[in-house]
Amino acid sequence: MNVTLQKTVPVAGSPVLVLLNPRQFAGPMLWALALGGVVASLGAWRFDLPKWAMTAIVIGFWLPVMAAKWKAELPKLGLVLTLVSVLLTTQSLHTLEHVAQWVQYHLFFWTLRESNGFLSPLNAEWVHFVWNVYVLAAVFALVIGGMRNPFAWLLLGVAFFHTIEHTYMFVRYQMVLLELQQLGVGTGVTAQGLPGILGRDGWLARSTFTQGTFLCSLPGLTTATRLDVHFWWNVLEMVTLAAAAHVHLQRSSIKVHDSFQPNDQNLQSAPKH
Amino acid sequence: MLLNSFVFDRNRLMGLLTMCGVLTVSCTGSVAPQKNEPVATGVAVHVRQVAQTVPSACAGLFIEHPLDFMTSTASGTVKNFESNGSGVAAGDLNGDGLIDLVFANLGQPAVIFWNDGHLNFRKQALDVMDVRAPAIVDVDGDGQPDIVFTQRFGPPFWMRNRGGEFERVNLGNVFEPAYSMAWADLNGDGRLDLVTASYNAELAKEQANNFLFNRIGGVMVYTNLGDAQFSATKISPEAQGLALLVTDLNHDGRPDIWVGNDFDVMDEIWLNTTAGWVKSTMQPATSHSTMSLSVADIDNSGMPAVFESDMKPYDVGVHTMVEWLPLMQTMRKSQPKDDPQVQENVLMQQRGNGTWQNRAPDMGVDATGWTWSAQFGDLDQDGFVDLYTVNGMIDRDFFRHLPNTELVEQNRAFRNLGGSGFALADDWGLASTSSGRGMIMVDLDNDGDLDIVINNLLAPAQVFENRLCSGSSLEVQLQQPGSNHFGVGARLELQTSMGTMTRDVHVGSGHISADAPRVHFGLPKDATINKLVVTWPDGIASSVPSPAPNQIIEVTR
Repeated sequence: MNVTLQKTVPVAGSPVLVLLNPRQFAGPMLWALALGGVVASLGAWRFDLPKWAMTAIVIGFWLPVMAAKWKAELPKLGLVLTLVSVLLTTQSLHTLEHVAQWVQYHLFFWTLRESNGFLSPLNAEWVHFVWNVYVLAAVFALVIGGMRNPFAWLLLGVAFFHTIEHTYMFVRYQMVLLELQQLGVGTGVTAQGLPGILGRDGWLARSTFTQGTFLCSLPGLTTATRLDVHFWWNVLEMVTLAAAAHVHLQRSSIKVHDSFQPNDQNLQSAPKH
Repeated sequence: MLLNSFVFDRNRLMGLLTMCGVLTVSCTGSVAPQKNEPVATGVAVHVRQVAQTVPSACAGLFIEHPLDFMTSTASGTVKNFESNGSGVAAGDLNGDGLIDLVFANLGQPAVIFWNDGHLNFRKQALDVMDVRAPAIVDVDGDGQPDIVFTQRFGPPFWMRNRGGEFERVNLGNVFEPAYSMAWADLNGDGRLDLVTASYNAELAKEQANNFLFNRIGGVMVYTNLGDAQFSATKISPEAQGLALLVTDLNHDGRPDIWVGNDFDVMDEIWLNTTAGWVKSTMQPATSHSTMSLSVADIDNSGMPAVFESDMKPYDVGVHTMVEWLPLMQTMRKSQPKDDPQVQENVLMQQRGNGTWQNRAPDMGVDATGWTWSAQFGDLDQDGFVDLYTVNGMIDRDFFRHLPNTELVEQNRAFRNLGGSGFALADDWGLASTSSGRGMIMVDLDNDGDLDIVINNLLAPAQVFENRLCSGSSLEVQLQQPGSNHFGVGARLELQTSMGTMTRDVHVGSGHISADAPRVHFGLPKDATINKLVVTWPDGIASSVPSPAPNQIIEVTR
């Protein structure tokens, strides 16, 4: 028998948390993370694995569990709400990457070049370009699928311009690589991490079109480092995504709440109204 | 021609002032104050006006004149720190009123270019080579400016001026190797003292054993005892001193020392106190690889601003990135906590409360290329000092992917936008790509505006004749008794209808270069001059009321 969530737990207006609750997958997820951590540590110890590889191993253990969760929820939630769940989860992890970079730079005083999070050392340009294309595509699909509210439209705009910025950086990256190859400069030289459109030394700050104008010194937008600019890009994206999802889930609350069985672990232990 | 004489008043130290006033009157003799002038506690000065020559045809830009000189290396290729090149100095060596030039060189002899007027020069080779920084100062106080050189692997020496003949002499008790130097009267005894800084990276590379076992190098203060004898004080054992600046940073009337260090060695500020040299708290930001130091009042606020040049590409285009990327891989690997060093130019401006603020990013001059030398000067004579930077690098390690292993960059001229910022002045014709190193601004043809002289590496030296023909000017040259004839260390304030402009008399700035002790004030054509106030190195002030623009005046105490 289906029981609505409102009859069993205090949702306190936070359907997003309900959606993200791992429920019966919490145990497997913790085990996967622990196992992944052990394997990654062993790899680092025995094979001197770089941190991006360690991160990839942990994700590799965690992802199947999450995939199982999303697969289990798909029939109940439908495609759009499942995609909201996937996007919220993965974008949260991506934001963690940016938080890590921020901590490395601002709290550990690493150089900008070193402050590249966990997964970005694999290739910062590829990682972030692919990621942002994925996010934009996912948001676009959600809007098409019915997640239409002011925050969703804002999210779509943020994701669009964020992707534009990463596309600009990615194209420049490829052009630099090509020219380096033509000059015979090969291994050992990375062209990653160069500024984009916004931020310190970005196109807006250094373009001949903007020289001598207020655009060169817009606080944050043309004065912050790439690391800070993209930290805030992601904070903005995360907040708007959460808000858009919150509004959408509230509108879809009956469907969400009705979707979960009372024998779900968290629901069983939750106090009743 | 003696046109006028004035006595003016402004004292800081009454006792000293009165004494010096008496001494001055007795020394100058012929300079009697005008009867109606208020004779008070000031020091007597007389003013000699020298009319400026008529400028050449206006062109709205600078005209390049290559010189028959090139800094080269012994091998013909650039190895290691030969890439740092050498400098240039300006000064009137023969007292004819025209500023002569001295170029240092590495693989060939250094030279004098005697200024015959109208930008005609006679070249004279000196019997010295492998020298870095030249300066023109009167070392022995005989009234004839001498030439001093720092050299790559030894202490500085001087070329005694004997009526235009130059004899190489050691400076007494000046023993530490030096890369950069500056001259100023540090202790107020009327003699010019010497400050030097070594470049330990080069010493370690080229003189490993000597450097390691003899602990040579550092920042030295040599107090001038007269007769070219000095007493030495090492104020810092470690130096990568590509640049030195001596100026009064804390407004106590005593010149302080700013050491611009390369690499991870932080820049140092040494304050000249009654208790001796005291290392100051470092600035909130300094450039990481400081290559040049220049000071000016950039907004006519009376507060100094110090420009430190570093290496940062001046554009972010793909091609420029490709040129720089292999080098950028080698740049610093860590940024220690509380380390104020940044890998870009820094323009530290002092605020009213004595603190300093980096204005380079918001004024648009944080990235000017691989900038060896940067100098302030009012090139367009609008009343605000402009900025010129000379760029480029030749290095077979960093730039082996580029033709001739050379990073070819344009020099950059920046017009001062009324003190609020700088804008690229690419219409001035100063975008040379000749791999400049040392550079000075000086009026070579006495037409009232600042010309530019550059000592390039593996390319002919250049004179850029100023034919902007904008604004007007006043140039001031000081004369005072004692061996510091030209009043090095004096501060000049020109009170005008557009505000007060402040300049210092100094003979060392930029990168391994030395200015002539002649101060240039640019003015808009419609500005009027109210008063020139000269604060002599000993703190005593004199005033010259309403000097007319478009002239060179010699103010003699």
